[in-house]
Amino acid sequence: MKKVLVACGAGIATSTVVNGAIEEMAKENNLKVNLVQIKITEVGSHVDTADLLVTTAMTKKEYPFPVINARAFLTGIGIEDTKKQILEELKK
Amino acid sequence: MQGFVDFIQGFLDLGATVILPVAILLLGLFFGQKIGKAFRSGLTIGVAFVGIFLVIDLLVLNLGPAAQGMVDRLGVQLNVIDVGWPATSSIAWASVVAAFIIPLGLVVNVVMLLTKTTKTMNVDIWNFWHYTFMAAMVYAISGSIIQGLIAAVLFQIVCLKVADWTAPMMSEFYELPGVSIATGSTISYAPGIFLVKGIQKIPGIRNWNADPDTIQKRFGIFGESIFIGLFLGAAIGALAGYNVGEIIEIGMAMAAVMVLMPRMVKILMEGLMPVSESAREWLNKRFGDREIYIGLDAAVALGHPAVISTALILVPITVVLAVILPGNAVLPFGDLATIPFIVAFIVGAARGNIVHSVIVGTIMIAISLYIATDVAPIFTQMAVNADFNMPEGSAQISSIDQGGNIVNYVIYKFFALFN
Repeated sequence: MKKVLVACGAGIATSTVVNGAIEEMAKENNLKVNLVQIKITEVGSHVDTADLLVTTAMTKKEYPFPVINARAFLTGIGIEDTKKQILEELKK
Repeated sequence: MQGFVDFIQGFLDLGATVILPVAILLLGLFFGQKIGKAFRSGLTIGVAFVGIFLVIDLLVLNLGPAAQGMVDRLGVQLNVIDVGWPATSSIAWASVVAAFIIPLGLVVNVVMLLTKTTKTMNVDIWNFWHYTFMAAMVYAISGSIIQGLIAAVLFQIVCLKVADWTAPMMSEFYELPGVSIATGSTISYAPGIFLVKGIQKIPGIRNWNADPDTIQKRFGIFGESIFIGLFLGAAIGALAGYNVGEIIEIGMAMAAVMVLMPRMVKILMEGLMPVSESAREWLNKRFGDREIYIGLDAAVALGHPAVISTALILVPITVVLAVILPGNAVLPFGDLATIPFIVAFIVGAARGNIVHSVIVGTIMIAISLYIATDVAPIFTQMAVNADFNMPEGSAQISSIDQGGNIVNYVIYKFFALFN
């Protein structure tokens, strides 16, 4: 099962939007994912165990797993592209 | 007509936690949601309030007596507990004026877009809670819903104007084209932009800088709320003269508050999300093809290493400030996790210079602590109006975010003149 970090500034508001969207996607595609909703400052403590980071915040750091920017979920523009990107990673 | 007025009055008397769920149900239906989905949203919000109340109880009942003990023993006057923005937003949404804010906020934004008085289309409906808080505060002193709503509109106009003004700076530094930040927590610290410009003119200081990687390694622990809760809780317990067992207990309880509070507010967010998404689509459909900024949560800027580093350093500084500033009564707690939102504009203006950002952040937070101290009685009264259980005795609550918000304070003081 993939461990997916969903991060935003406070781990409350915008990450909940993304969390809900990924949950739905996973259900539709029968994928099991372990979603962990956190603050962006807490990514560090999950570095060794995570498979993917999806974040509405920005990040300039290099991580050993792919990072997907999920700002589209907030603006409402380009959501489908971002979803496709996330789905591809989940299926790997 | 009288019957209708009685009906509305009876509904408002039902208590705050019933009103917002019903309002969300109605708004959901207005945006064309199925009744089942709309009802579920409303119900979710009601459930969230129950959860948030439980955690605030845990916070206030544990930290209240300890803060009082610390006051009695050491004479430091820190008996106003900073409950943090998650709890603050709940107090705002639990106010009777909350039901009006989402539709009103949308109308104001649309009118300003149509009259070209703003370029920001704020799709960040969740952060309408800042406007709600403004309205609730003025309602609490005036008893007038109309005055409350006028205050909220003023607050919103300031947010949109500042968002327009800062958008070029934000999009350049944070690489966020077409985006502006209208979050109330961040807007309040816009005056910091001028301070940054002043500091960058001072010879010597203007060349100081620091490396974000080293700071994140050294101060990383201040980014994890669970540890902040544990350490701060235990430290306060120790200062209050508790024995070892009690110190561990209060440390554990405060770690729990830090972890549980966001989870509870997340439920509130889940309940608001369908309406928020519908509102966003509604706005996008009408204004999406114009040359405008999309107003987003400040969260989009927060992962920047300079923001994280600045915020990490400011956590211990805020605690020290609270202790040494004469006249401050706020015991920083919940909003220690909110500092990244506070510094988003400042770091942008300083172009990522951490030393300058920390200096300006320190000054701005000091101002916020004083404001938060000053509004504590009315803040506490608002929580009581929202049916939160407040402890007997002298402990009060407030918050650094919104409670210490400069724009909120100026508008509040203005309305206080007449009431």
